[in-house]
This record gives sequence, structure tokens and C-alpha cells, in this order.
Amino acid sequence: MKPVSPGRGGVKGWSRGRTGGRPGLRRLALLGVGIAAVMGTLVCTRRPEVVEPTGGPALPVVSRIPEDTTHKEEPRLLPAEVYVRSYMQWFGGLAPIEVQAKARGADGALLFDAWGDYLAALGLPDYATDLPRGGQTNAMMLGAFERLGSALCARAMEHDWRGSVKVADRLIFAFERGGEAPPLPEFAAGLDVLHRTFLGYPARLAPEGRIERYFKLFEETRGRHAAAAKKERLTPVETAWVAVCEGLVRHPELHFY
Amino acid sequence: MKTFRRDLLKAAGAVLLAGMGAGGRSPSGRGGSEDEYFVFIQAAGGWDVTLWSDPRNEKKGIIDPATTDNLDPTGLTKWKEAPFSGSTRTFEVLTSRGAPFRFGPAIGGLFDLADRLTIVNGLEMNTVSHPDGTLFSATGRHPVGGRAVASSVDTMVANELGGAQMIPLLSVGFPSYFVGDGLDRRAVPLRVGSIDAVTRLLARSEVYETTEDRRAITAVLSEEARDLAGRSASPELFTGLALQYDALQKMIGGSLEAVFSVPSLQKAHPRFAYGGKFAGASAVSAAFAIEAMRRNLVRCVSFSSTGFDTHTNNYRSHGAALQELFDMVATLVTTLDGIPHPTKPSDKLSEHTHILVVSEFCRTPQINQAGGRDHYPNNSALVISPRFKHPFVLGKTDEEQVLPAAIPGFLGGPRPVGPADLLATFVSAFGIEPRRYLRDGEVVEALLRT
Repeated sequence: MKPVSPGRGGVKGWSRGRTGGRPGLRRLALLGVGIAAVMGTLVCTRRPEVVEPTGGPALPVVSRIPEDTTHKEEPRLLPAEVYVRSYMQWFGGLAPIEVQAKARGADGALLFDAWGDYLAALGLPDYATDLPRGGQTNAMMLGAFERLGSALCARAMEHDWRGSVKVADRLIFAFERGGEAPPLPEFAAGLDVLHRTFLGYPARLAPEGRIERYFKLFEETRGRHAAAAKKERLTPVETAWVAVCEGLVRHPELHFY
Repeated sequence: MKTFRRDLLKAAGAVLLAGMGAGGRSPSGRGGSEDEYFVFIQAAGGWDVTLWSDPRNEKKGIIDPATTDNLDPTGLTKWKEAPFSGSTRTFEVLTSRGAPFRFGPAIGGLFDLADRLTIVNGLEMNTVSHPDGTLFSATGRHPVGGRAVASSVDTMVANELGGAQMIPLLSVGFPSYFVGDGLDRRAVPLRVGSIDAVTRLLARSEVYETTEDRRAITAVLSEEARDLAGRSASPELFTGLALQYDALQKMIGGSLEAVFSVPSLQKAHPRFAYGGKFAGASAVSAAFAIEAMRRNLVRCVSFSSTGFDTHTNNYRSHGAALQELFDMVATLVTTLDGIPHPTKPSDKLSEHTHILVVSEFCRTPQINQAGGRDHYPNNSALVISPRFKHPFVLGKTDEEQVLPAAIPGFLGGPRPVGPADLLATFVSAFGIEPRRYLRDGEVVEALLRT
């Protein structure tokens, strides 16, 4: 008797099945699959039963409780980490140490010191002494915002308008320079760019009177510096735009959400 | 200098008027606290009370006293050797004539001021966790979910008495918390990492903008905040912000940054040990407190001193850390003795300055295997205040375990003193209603001068 090699001949039944098998069984299986497919199609295409709603009797009113729609929480202070990250983004997406170097500059203007000087005042927690984050503003925190805002706006002005940078590549003052004494409509267009950058929405949607208030700040600052006797690092209109920038980067709407 | 003083007085007057307009509070009960100043100090890390307020120099129960084997007595001015075992030496407990105290060797310069001290021993902390103890000692409440649920003592005082000051509360690493409804937002602690940071935060470059420009911008922001208050469901938040903008305007642009620069402070008060390894930074804070109080700019200054969390053989330096702290406090007090009060020139500033020194807990009576001491739920506190009985000691611990012992005088019967009792007593000494801020605690009248 010749032995069957498993590698070539294989198991008996398996070998038969692969080489043809019984044709009756195959047909039966195919028929079953076909019937199942037809049934499935019929079931799926049939419209679902619709149950018409019926009205029940209204529940009797036993008491009335007015809905309290007042706000339950006051606006929260933006976490200091978010502020610092936003700040770095406005500076051109730089790393903290690069922002520090750029803000300080090499001109002895003393616009910025080191991040370490601001962290506690900005409300960051101090895990070394188990102090949690500061959740409320205070005058020293507002002072830190002022110092940081001043550095950002002055350096951005130097970068954007003093260098030959295209409008699209500017960091903050991404609008045409215009005249030395822009009228209100021209000012409003520039303010709108800054307003969108810092507060995230168009200036025309701001509370009434904001555009005029900032225009007054702009005009007064420009006027003061136009009348200054000594030569200054920025022109009067540039200084006025820096003031407007600062007035937005330190705005209450930026620090609360 | 004259111009500077005039400017400061003008600014202070303006702030005073603003404060009255905004509903400044007058204290009730023990009144006359409008001219008082406050310094709060935290010994961060947990101090060893057996080295100063509750000295132990015998092996008794679980107590391993400080000896030359576990502590380095070099430089401890009040270390007087006493025999312990073999060649090992311990210290001699110090007593002060006429004072009820027994002091350990780390008391430093405060020993000479013993007749002005009020000490609370056996403070029951019920915790050995740093964050818990820190909050409990400063607020009188244990934290909930890791958060403070009550204002800290410096905020309580600033809220009641600091509204008219340019800086109601400056906090340098002290656990200062502003929690609760109806508080004046000007009393939010001005938290900074160091006094140096104050100088930097107040300094402004004049290269691009002038002081006038900055004031104009801040005025616009103040108006914007008031506008938002009129439209907001939380007007008090934005109204408070407007007040803070106004305060900022007064802080910036004067000569404050020059007065408060670290070199200026060090020059003005050379007696402090600024080079100290442990209390060098807090000495700068103390010098700042003196300069700010003599100019009537602050109500409270709070700060911390570090170097007390000594779990390993760094315990050897624990005595030095304590001595530096107490030397600094002693220098603060004696310096205030020589300065007239800004609004009551016939009085010394020290007669109106109240100092509270706390820590989060104390350290174990036994020395651990690493040669240090771990956390222990007992504590002491130090008060130097003309309104507190002095020299006076309240509270005690047991002989063998240094755990808080019950004392009589409380409503529910004898029990140990707790931090809430101390804080309630402290604020009540200045006419502040403790229940406005503290859920727990009883006023311990025995601590107060009648």
C-alpha cells in the first residue's frame, strides 16, 4: 500500500472538495444565499411603521418655579500659561528664550527682563513652595501685563514698520502705514486688525464707543509726541499705534473668558 | 527727597479718597487699627520646635534631642553645651529673667527681645502634609480638593484695613489666598516671587513711551473695565479690575522702583544678614516692609523663609536656618524701634507693627534613619504685637511625645489650641469680626492685652 503524502495528496475530504465536490450541494448553497439576499432587499426597502402621535391629557399644574437664568459663575482669568503662549505667538511663534532675547534687545531700552521675573506676578503656581496658581487679578499682575505689553508693541512696531516687511509677514501691525495723521475711518481699519489679533473679533462689533475712545487715545498720544522737543526713537504716529496696541493687549476682554 | 515725599503723600491722599468713595470699611470692636501695620512670615517646610520654643534636651519617651551627633552647633550663638552621652553633647535650655519661656539654642537674637514675645505652643495641626499644613496655618481651614476654602490671615487684615493703602498686601512666597464673597478686590494679594521682581515690575522704559502715555492707556483700560461692568452679569469683577487699574496708575511713574530696588534696600538697612543661606532673601523682604511701612504705602507684607524641610542629614543645618530667621525678625523689630510712625510721629513704628510667624507643622521628636526629622502634627507660633500679652506663652505639649496637650478655657471644654483659634484671636485684636472669615476657632482672650 502506497502511503499518502500530506504535502501532496492532503486529507481526503479536503482534496475532493477543492477539485469539484458534489454539484448538488453547491447549487443548494448558492440558492440559499440568493434567497437571503432577496429577503434582505425586501426588508430594507419596506417603509418603517409610523406610529402617529396621540395627545394625552395635560398634567395638572401643582406649583410654579421660575427658571433662574442668571450666570452662575463670573468670568475666569485666563491661565497664565495660555497668556504666555499667546504672547510668544504674537512675537512670531518663537521659543520663550528667543522672545526674551528679542524683547530685551541690545539697545539698552530696558523693555524686558527675564521670564522668571514675571511668572509669580502672572499667577503661575510655585510647586517648590506649594503655592497654587493665582486666580484673581491684582495691581502687580496688571503691572506685569503692562510691562510685557509695552515690550511686545514697541518691538513689533520696530519689526513691522521700521523693517521692509510685507504686510502679510508682519507680526502685529499688519496693515498699510497710511498717513502721519490718519482720519477716523483709516484709523478704524488699522484698529480692526489689532482688535481681531488680540480680542478675536471685529472692532465694529465691540461695545459702542470703543473705536472713538481708542481714536482719542491715538490722537492725544500722537499730539504729545509731535510736540516733543527731543528726537524720539519712534515717530509720533508710530508711538500712537504702539499705545493703541498696548491698550488692546492689556484689555480686560483678553484676560477673562 | 522732599518732592518725592510730597508725591507720595499726594498719591496716598488720592488713594485714601478713592478708598472712601468705594466703601472703605471701618473696623468694629477693638477699633483704632487704621494706623497699624502687619508682617506675616512663614517658615516654609516645617520647623523643629524643640530647637526654639519647646526645647527638649533629654532622651525621654520617643524624643531624640538635638545633639552634636545630629546637629551642627557651629555658629549657633545661643548654644551652650550640656553633657548628653559619652563625648556627645546636647544643649542647655535657656531661660530669660522675668519671662515664662524656655528657649532652645536656635532662638538667636530674639532671646534678647524675650519680654516682647508671645508664643503659642502645642498647636494642633492634624496634618503632616505640606500643602495641608501651609493652608491650615494661614487660613485656619484644611484645603478641600487641594484648594484653599478661606482667605489667609493677611488677606483678612488687608481687606478690612488696607483699602486706603497703595499696596494693601504684598505677598512674597507667603501662602496668601483671597477667597470668599464680598471682599474688596484691592485686597487681592500682590504676589511676587521676590522683592527684586517688584522693582522690575515697577520699572518702566522711557525710550518709547512716557509716563503720561502709560497713564493715558491705563485710564482707557479703566474706562473699558467700567463699561464692561455695566454690561456684565458679574459687574463686581470688572469694577474691581477698574480699581486695580487705578491703583497701578499710582504705583507706576513715581520713584518707588528706585526706593525698592534691592541695592537701595540693602544700603538703607545694612543690619540685616542679606548673605544668609536661608533667610537672606527674606531679609530683603523685611527691609522692603520697613521702607514701605515708613512711607505708609502698605498695610500688610507677608513673606516666607525657607530651609526647614530637613528629612535627611541636612537636619544638621536646621538650627542655623532657625537662627537666621529669628535674627532677621529681631533686626526687623529693633529697626522699627528707631523709626517714627508715618502718621503718628510721636510713636515708634514698632508700637504699631504686628508680626505673626507661623510654619506648617513641626518635625518628629525622633531622628530618622537618614539622620533627619520628618513631619509631625504639632506646631508653635510666634507673635510680636503690642496688642498681645507679652511675655506670654500659651499651650503645651506632653513630656514624651511632643504632641499638643489640652488646655482649659475653650467653650467645649479643654482641648489643644488650633491654628483657627490663633488666627481668630489675631484678627479680633484689631477689631475684625473673626466669623466673617473663619468658620472655626475661638478668640483666646488670655492672649490679648486688656
